[in-house]
Amino acid sequence: MSVPIHSRPLMVLRLATSATQDIGSTPQGTLTIFPVIGGSFDGERLRGKVLAGGGDWVTARGDGTVTLDLRVTLETDDEGLIHMTFTGVRDDANHYFRTVPRFETAVPKYAFLNRLVAVGIGEIRPEGPVHLIEEIL
Amino acid sequence: MNTRLLMTMHVKVGTLLNIGAVPHGTRRTAPLGSGTFEGPRLRGTILPGGSVDWQLLRTDGVLEMDLRFTLRTDDGALISMRSFGLRHGPPEVIAAIGRGETVDPSTYYFRTMPRFETAHPAYLFLNRLIAVATGDRRPEGPIYTIHEVL
Repeated sequence: MSVPIHSRPLMVLRLATSATQDIGSTPQGTLTIFPVIGGSFDGERLRGKVLAGGGDWVTARGDGTVTLDLRVTLETDDEGLIHMTFTGVRDDANHYFRTVPRFETAVPKYAFLNRLVAVGIGEIRPEGPVHLIEEIL
Repeated sequence: MNTRLLMTMHVKVGTLLNIGAVPHGTRRTAPLGSGTFEGPRLRGTILPGGSVDWQLLRTDGVLEMDLRFTLRTDDGALISMRSFGLRHGPPEVIAAIGRGETVDPSTYYFRTMPRFETAHPAYLFLNRLIAVATGDRRPEGPIYTIHEVL
């Protein structure tokens, strides 16, 4: 029996980044690091700010797509810390920008994050990248 | 979020290897002996050998899966598929699965996030998509319904 895919909104994540660190051409592609200096996240079950000190390791591959590898720390408005990572793919020619976030936390109130898989729909906006993250039910 | 069916995969699991208690949980390995996959755009068989599920039963009761498959399509292309997944549910449901019973898959959470790599020109679209799968653990092995995230 196959189970259909259902999802529900988890959060909208906005990231602020500083000047890129251009590592350049590596065996995997062209690596650019986007240091994360802040941002916010907002959803029905959690909201807060993105702490400075994370980043997104972005590799432009030879096939025209870009892979993402992000690590950040989220701090909720009630001071819970959440370790968040995602990997993803961006294919600008096809307007495709999707990520697979994962969460780790020790705060009981947010332990549900340890037990879910999620998908993010990314958008590049003038103010920076915005990720609409959905929990896979 | 919009999705569309990519394929349904039927997997036969071999004998579990119990590695035992490791610092972050209980680790075991499940060789994925054989199987098939079929969808509107691709179909074929799972190659044994490189197809294994590295499982970690976490201390919070969640089973983490690190799945690797090598797929061979009916027209000869090789596709590497890697998934991260989670499985958890009410203790009685998980116990029934452990006893080899067939359980309604809507009574527990079994989801994976597959990624694909291939060099074959007919399947390059797989390199650039994100997918989500629902799992149904049958006595002989899991059935994955894999959807492309649009």
